[in-house]
Amino acid sequence: MKLKKQRSASRVGAVVLNTEKENSRNGLTAVVLSFLVFSMIGLAYASEPLYRIFCQVTGYGGTTRIAVFDNKSSVAENSITVRFDANVNKLLPWRFKPMQNKIILKPGEQAMAFYEATNVSDKPIVGTAVFNVAPFKVGEYFNKIECFCFTEQVLLPGQTVQMPVTFFVDSSIVEDRNTKEVNTITLSYTFYASDDQSEAENLSKISLKMKKSINNPGETQIIQPG
Amino acid sequence: MSDITHDHHDHRPSGWKRWAYSTNHKDIGTMYLVLSMVAAIIGGAASILMRAELHEPGIQFITDPQFYNVLVTAHGFIMVFFVVMPALIGGFGNWFIPLMIGTPDMAFPRMNNVSFWLVAAALILLVIAGFIDGGAGTGWTVYPPLSSADYHPGMAVDFGILALHLAGASSILGAINFITTIINMRAPGMTFHRMPLFIWAMLLTAFLLLLAIPVLAGALTMLLTDRNFGTAFFAPDGGGDPVLWQHLFWFFGHPEVYIMILPAFGIISEIVSTFSKKPIFGYLGMAYAMTSIGVVGFVVWAHHMYTMGFNVETRAYFTLATMVIAVPTGIKIFSWLATMWGGSIKFDTPMLYSMGFIFLFVVGGVTGVTLANAGVDMAFHDTYFVVAHFHYVLSISALFSMYAGFYYWLGKMSGKRYPEWLGRLQFWVTFVGVNLLFFPQHFAGMAGMPRRIIDYPDAYAGWNMVSSWGAYVSAVGGILFFVVLYKTLTSNVKADANEWGVGATTLEWTVDSPAPFHTHEVTPNVAPEPAE
Ligand code: HEM
Ligand SMILES: [Cu+2]
Repeated sequence: MKLKKQRSASRVGAVVLNTEKENSRNGLTAVVLSFLVFSMIGLAYASEPLYRIFCQVTGYGGTTRIAVFDNKSSVAENSITVRFDANVNKLLPWRFKPMQNKIILKPGEQAMAFYEATNVSDKPIVGTAVFNVAPFKVGEYFNKIECFCFTEQVLLPGQTVQMPVTFFVDSSIVEDRNTKEVNTITLSYTFYASDDQSEAENLSKISLKMKKSINNPGETQIIQPG
Repeated sequence: MSDITHDHHDHRPSGWKRWAYSTNHKDIGTMYLVLSMVAAIIGGAASILMRAELHEPGIQFITDPQFYNVLVTAHGFIMVFFVVMPALIGGFGNWFIPLMIGTPDMAFPRMNNVSFWLVAAALILLVIAGFIDGGAGTGWTVYPPLSSADYHPGMAVDFGILALHLAGASSILGAINFITTIINMRAPGMTFHRMPLFIWAMLLTAFLLLLAIPVLAGALTMLLTDRNFGTAFFAPDGGGDPVLWQHLFWFFGHPEVYIMILPAFGIISEIVSTFSKKPIFGYLGMAYAMTSIGVVGFVVWAHHMYTMGFNVETRAYFTLATMVIAVPTGIKIFSWLATMWGGSIKFDTPMLYSMGFIFLFVVGGVTGVTLANAGVDMAFHDTYFVVAHFHYVLSISALFSMYAGFYYWLGKMSGKRYPEWLGRLQFWVTFVGVNLLFFPQHFAGMAGMPRRIIDYPDAYAGWNMVSSWGAYVSAVGGILFFVVLYKTLTSNVKADANEWGVGATTLEWTVDSPAPFHTHEVTPNVAPEPAE
């Protein structure tokens, strides 16, 4: 583009823009672009469920698997240590702790661990536990057969429950070159108050009527897994 | 000069209304540039305070460590959203897109006005965020849980989020305006493959804005509701995951760094071509290098998250994808060098700044490729090595492109010629200053000095002292810039319509200097042969 040429050209081929037709074309462009903007916002929000599904499918972020135990599956030679960790959202007035610090087992063997939760408030509360394992990369090999975290838990005022989790570490963990050096896995849970507290509200109505006839506060029960 | 300008049509509102209600692309561009300078003073002051604090080991004068965190945060946000983006995109974009494509104004002038005032309001909110309830000390990455209600219980982070929402809305409106203008309103004969590279850069930047900013807006809204309305997108003790924030932030954040550097590429391309008196080498290669950088920039984000526990395959992918970006980047560097090669170069201030840009960008690119290796980054992540990388490749590179563009177009915008010797002096002071400031940070980083912390062990004292002195020298360069500006605006040396001579071939040099209030009212025709 030579300057001289442009200038002389501008005298020859002058066109006046900004006609009505041009305006409506601009409007159309803007509408298409706004559509793009709104789909990106939608995508950002869609990322939350998508991310959850992605982690469940791939074991990313230490997301564990749900499995049925197969007796015939092979057992690896070297033992692996599973440690247990417990956390509570600060808005949930529960005490929550593992009843054993660690379990040593061989990949391919099934094991059961217990956690204990106490409702230290004066009303029934429904809690949900989220979980993962560290290091994240072993998520796809950590299988839960039964877990208190599969369902919501309702605790009455003062009630203490012991909650089991049965699990096994897939023996193919020792065949994956990314995971075979792992000798310790930490299983972690965090309890928080469920959004849906209707069950707790029903219970508090019943317990008001029946007073102490349900579980005695302070008494510990073992809940059935599942 | 020619009959395509009509000075006698220069009717415009006067006084404050001219600016407050402005729909004129040049006035709005000027307002963006002024806003950027005001913000640069605030953001620059924050950085000098930080460097003064880090001048020696121990706590010097910032007694509250949270205040140091607030300075880090404010500096980052202000520089990104209120200095670089307003200057390169709002300022030069508004001024020169219509001038360069030969159209009288932007497609939606009134929306343009709204964009500007949104970002002005955002700046005020952001400054407030620094002062209420202990301030927002989250860093510009705003990672939860640090940014959650547990660790930032006050209103500061909410104000910051609101500020970013407004700035984001402003950017989105501006981007729609830019794209519409560039797609629909080019002068006859200016096909996509004949647009100046600056226009290519602005078009791509606007698309990146449209795709990236909404993701940030979405993520910020989730954070806002997490903080205030009990949602738990990023809170693990509610079923969420803080790592999701990192994914969303960097899905925005990596393209964002290209949003800031693509306009710089455009400006540097124009200047290198003008001062080498040659068309840019490999024009189409340049245009499509920028396009591919923009596209690939959306699939490399997790190179900011190597340490958060991905498996080896994922890290290998992101390492590879990140390194791929070095290819089009290399194409750009070599094309600039090839353009200069054998040209009769004039070393005026804009060209000095452009060559400075290329140098800084290469240094930062080399450390970028280093950091791209997930294994290496395990050691370097969150150290001063990263700080050195992104200041070379982004921060001071973008600053140099802003200075370059400003000197290049100052005559066109103000009608006055800046004093050349003072411009060159300003360049050399700044060039020495920023290198003294950031080069030693590579060494501090390699020795393991973590970033974003008010204090450090004595072992790092030497390089930090050098770095702080570099900061003071750079600040002198900044002050000199305002001296140049003052001298230019008060001088009576008129700038010619085309002050750079035969190398300056784009359309803005066909209109008078200063560019009249209304330009290109009669559309120029830039077809190779006069059309019809
Ligand atoms: C050759 C191309 C590049 C490569 C391979 C590269 C690679 C990287 C990597 C791996 C990191 C993460 C380091 C860490 O946090 O541990 C990083 C950080 C960063 N890069 Fe680059 N980069 C490149 C070019 C750029 C460009 C062109 C820009 C901007 C214009 C840029 C801006 C940044 C910024 C701002 C950060 C730090 C963000 C933060 O943590 O606050 N990089 N880069
Ligand atoms: Cu990046």
